[in-house]
Amino acid sequence: MTAVSTPANSPMHARRRLRLPRSILAFPAWFWFLAFFAAPLGLVVYNSFGSKVPQSVGNVSMASPSLGRYREALTGTFFTVFETTLKIAVIGTVLCLVIGFPVAYWLATRASARLKGVMLGLVIIPFWTNFLIRTLSWTIVLSPEGYLSHQLQSWGILGGPIHLLATKTAVQIGVVYNYLPLMIFPLFVALDRLDPSLREASKDLGATPGRTFLQVTGPLAMPGIIAGLLLVYIPLAGDYLTAKILGKAQGNMAGAFIASQVIDAQNLPAGAAMAVILILLILGTILAVGGIGLAIAKMSQIRRSVYVDTGDSI
Amino acid sequence: MTAISVPAPSKRKFEWMSFGLGVWCVVVYIFLFIPIGFLIAHSLTKSSAFEVWAGPPSFRWYPKVFENKQLMSAIRASFKAALGSTIVATIIGSMAGITLARRKGRWTKPFIVLVLLVLVTPEIVDAIGLLRWFVASELKLNLANTWFSLRSGLLPLVIGQSLFSTAVVILIVRARMEGLDESLEQAAEDLYATPRRAFMQITLPLVSPAVVASALLAFTLSLDNTIVSNFVNTTGNSTLPAYVFGKTKSVLKPDIAAASTMMLGVTLLALVLVVVVLKRSGDSSSDIAATITGQ
Repeated sequence: MTAVSTPANSPMHARRRLRLPRSILAFPAWFWFLAFFAAPLGLVVYNSFGSKVPQSVGNVSMASPSLGRYREALTGTFFTVFETTLKIAVIGTVLCLVIGFPVAYWLATRASARLKGVMLGLVIIPFWTNFLIRTLSWTIVLSPEGYLSHQLQSWGILGGPIHLLATKTAVQIGVVYNYLPLMIFPLFVALDRLDPSLREASKDLGATPGRTFLQVTGPLAMPGIIAGLLLVYIPLAGDYLTAKILGKAQGNMAGAFIASQVIDAQNLPAGAAMAVILILLILGTILAVGGIGLAIAKMSQIRRSVYVDTGDSI
Repeated sequence: MTAISVPAPSKRKFEWMSFGLGVWCVVVYIFLFIPIGFLIAHSLTKSSAFEVWAGPPSFRWYPKVFENKQLMSAIRASFKAALGSTIVATIIGSMAGITLARRKGRWTKPFIVLVLLVLVTPEIVDAIGLLRWFVASELKLNLANTWFSLRSGLLPLVIGQSLFSTAVVILIVRARMEGLDESLEQAAEDLYATPRRAFMQITLPLVSPAVVASALLAFTLSLDNTIVSNFVNTTGNSTLPAYVFGKTKSVLKPDIAAASTMMLGVTLLALVLVVVVLKRSGDSSSDIAATITGQ
């Protein structure tokens, strides 16, 4: 304003002033995420230090911020729910890997180019089917009066109707089903990029198929395996719908428990503290597993280099 | 290629392994399609309970979907909200994705961390936070009943559904841009194209398959969104998944199966479109799988 007659008004300065930051195109996304993701998340964290106003509809008092909600969460029922969640998440992730790896391996190494596309599409279809609807469909499959239940009984496989709904087993089946495609995709991508000649070379050098798998295919597919584990574990540990629909009260997972704290008990601070613990738990497991993985990788590297050294000295 | 014959025993062993892998695949594919098969079958049931099958197959529940006013309004709201959030996510996500690949700087790392956080945070936490945030901002800023209110009509749904979609669009578009040779854009600038023109005539056409594919993905993700939608929706603006989720607390009828089967058709159509778009841009099935799953 005051600089009207100063050199700041010269064309060069005017241009510099008009020049926008190079990353201007990312600003709307920044704004969107900060306003509707970071801020709400911050509000949850903030509220987790408050306490519920008694006899109110979900009002939060921030008069005396404390860690009380965290202490309650870690000593009460929620601790058990945490254990269940962790167990279901770890078992589910491992099952997805065990079930998914052979499928991805077959797709990448055995299927012809044309079949590959079709079979991949067939994995994508359930993945793109509405999450709620495919979970709900399992209630039809597992229903005690359903077709499967009747057939299994008439074939004499089962003595009575299926009693899986509202159990932890149903939740376990449901999560494996819901997240299996997320394991198959990255595994397939990693295995498909592997040069088949590497496996052939290993075979030609006299390695058994098992050894080829452990020393060539496995290590080279590691990025895909890690991606798959993360892609499955993260949403699985935070799952809400599968537990809610297939587990009801029995297979209570942390996500569903948090929701019930906020909706039914109208206790936002408690729910918020549990949400923070859940996020920390997810990040903590990832870091722990990642750390162990790195340590193993480093150790096997040392061992390998020792092996190579002795080999050279002979 | 090579005339050197492979020892017979090891070859036979490998065929057994192929066979075993094939059988395993068949079993897993059956597992993947069991619920979908049951759902489609039950949309054709004659019984009036969701879980009970009664033959012979009939289409009696399909017309019922169109007679159910609540269900129809939920389907309409679903499509409108998904369309809105797809537009938002595609525009701001593509812009950010392109910028991430071409305008690297100190801002890139924190931004990617933010995007990953959006993808990693459990949806239920987002949902609780967003609902509180909408209510709190409305009270603080006195926005209730103003045109700027965040809690009117479909706006909360559009915002809530767009977050995850935007993050996915960013990753897909960024991956495509990283794979594109920057020298094409530089050549355009050497030939005296303005940055704007280089962007419109070179960058945009090259990146458009990724933009279209990620837009379709954003659309299905938004249609799919249940938890955030269930929390933030306003009265009379429930989406289909939120409506169905509400119904799971009482008794489900087969019209839900019929409506779901029709929605499945829409999703498959979107999937086929994505594959066609990516195939035409020369992707292999492996690339397509990587794109569709956001890697």
